[in-house]
Amino acid sequence: MPRTKDLQRLADEELMQLVQDGDPRAFELLYDRHGDAAFSLAYRMVGDRVAAEDITQEAFLSIWRSRERYQRDRGSVRTWVLGIVHHRGIDALRRNFVHQRRRASAEGIEERYEAPERTDAEALRRADATTVHAALEMLPDDQSRVIELAYFGGFTHVQIAEMLAMPVGTVKGRMRLGLEKMRRELAGGVA
Amino acid sequence: MTMDQHERYEENVAAYLLGALTEEELTEFEAHLAGCELCRLDYQRLRVAAEALPRAVEPLEAPDSLRSSLMATVRAEARPGSVSERTPSLLQRFRDRLGDISPALAAVSAAAVLAVGVLAGWGISELANNGGVEKTYAASTRVPGGSATLTVPEDRRGASLTVHGMPSPGAGRVYEVWLRRGSTYVPAGSLFDVGGNGTGSAAIPRDLHGVDGVAVTREPRGGTKQPTEKPVMTVDLS
Repeated sequence: MPRTKDLQRLADEELMQLVQDGDPRAFELLYDRHGDAAFSLAYRMVGDRVAAEDITQEAFLSIWRSRERYQRDRGSVRTWVLGIVHHRGIDALRRNFVHQRRRASAEGIEERYEAPERTDAEALRRADATTVHAALEMLPDDQSRVIELAYFGGFTHVQIAEMLAMPVGTVKGRMRLGLEKMRRELAGGVA
Repeated sequence: MTMDQHERYEENVAAYLLGALTEEELTEFEAHLAGCELCRLDYQRLRVAAEALPRAVEPLEAPDSLRSSLMATVRAEARPGSVSERTPSLLQRFRDRLGDISPALAAVSAAAVLAVGVLAGWGISELANNGGVEKTYAASTRVPGGSATLTVPEDRRGASLTVHGMPSPGAGRVYEVWLRRGSTYVPAGSLFDVGGNGTGSAAIPRDLHGVDGVAVTREPRGGTKQPTEKPVMTVDLS
């Protein structure tokens, strides 16, 4: 059995193999690597600390309980983890429980939970967040709005069309145009 | 796959990547995606942008209590003799079944597979078959710390559901059990509540032949004729 120190040297994909073998230490390390990003995404979606914790915990428990589903050739572990969190977040939003709590919750969590830049990796992630955020900001308002409402708000395109009083086809078209522009912007930012 | 069919669905690629399709559209679109190379190419091209979106959020630090709570559950389940420790061969069967179902989706990313899995209530492990007398299934639950098992006799006449670690369904509410055939839910004739320790059980007095799954929702006391929310737990019997 690998020592905990040895586990830290493993890439995510190798760590996942140990998780799939049922090793809780490997899973713990996986959480340490991706838990903050998961919680950050969950909080961005639901705007409520308790709900964000629930979503994050549900997501990681489902990863543990269905760990055999991970397949190495289907994308990075981080993308897979955040995809699960995103789906759980949408689930919570569409149950509508969180919309109500979000309106009532106090702001200021960012001050208490802001991730400190303890390591080079975290500094790089913060720089990456700035890059991606900038790519989103560069989109025309009508495109960034539909993308944010869909991805972070958990609204369907039908709901977005109603909210913005536009045809469903227009909403879908703007989603496509927005993702295309982001793709080009992010590709252009690669050294 | 005709060009007409592709054109009918191509505008859904971006909405799909953003999680913005309705449940009905999702099932239809994924079936289309499995057979449309143009849409799959589109998907692969645009996914880099969709997958970047989580990186745009303000980085926050998750509370320590979340880690502690999560790992307490994981360590308990990882202990020798626990449910997940007994099931490696059955998990392999589940993995094989996933491969049989989705060969046409091989070019699609894990996000798409997960979308099917999560939204369709997958995540089920079949635990044991006690010499052909009874079969026990583990439920997939949305509730942190919650778990449940469904025991079905060999003749599938009735079943019993046992839950642990489940919160109260709320004032004036009960847990209602449903039988699922395809995408249709019918009452299983069973309502239950949980004790202070989160434990409860329900007898299902129905024939389970032809039943694809069992689900549980929270409903007003007395039950309802149709589920009013997404299930808090599901068991796949197919």
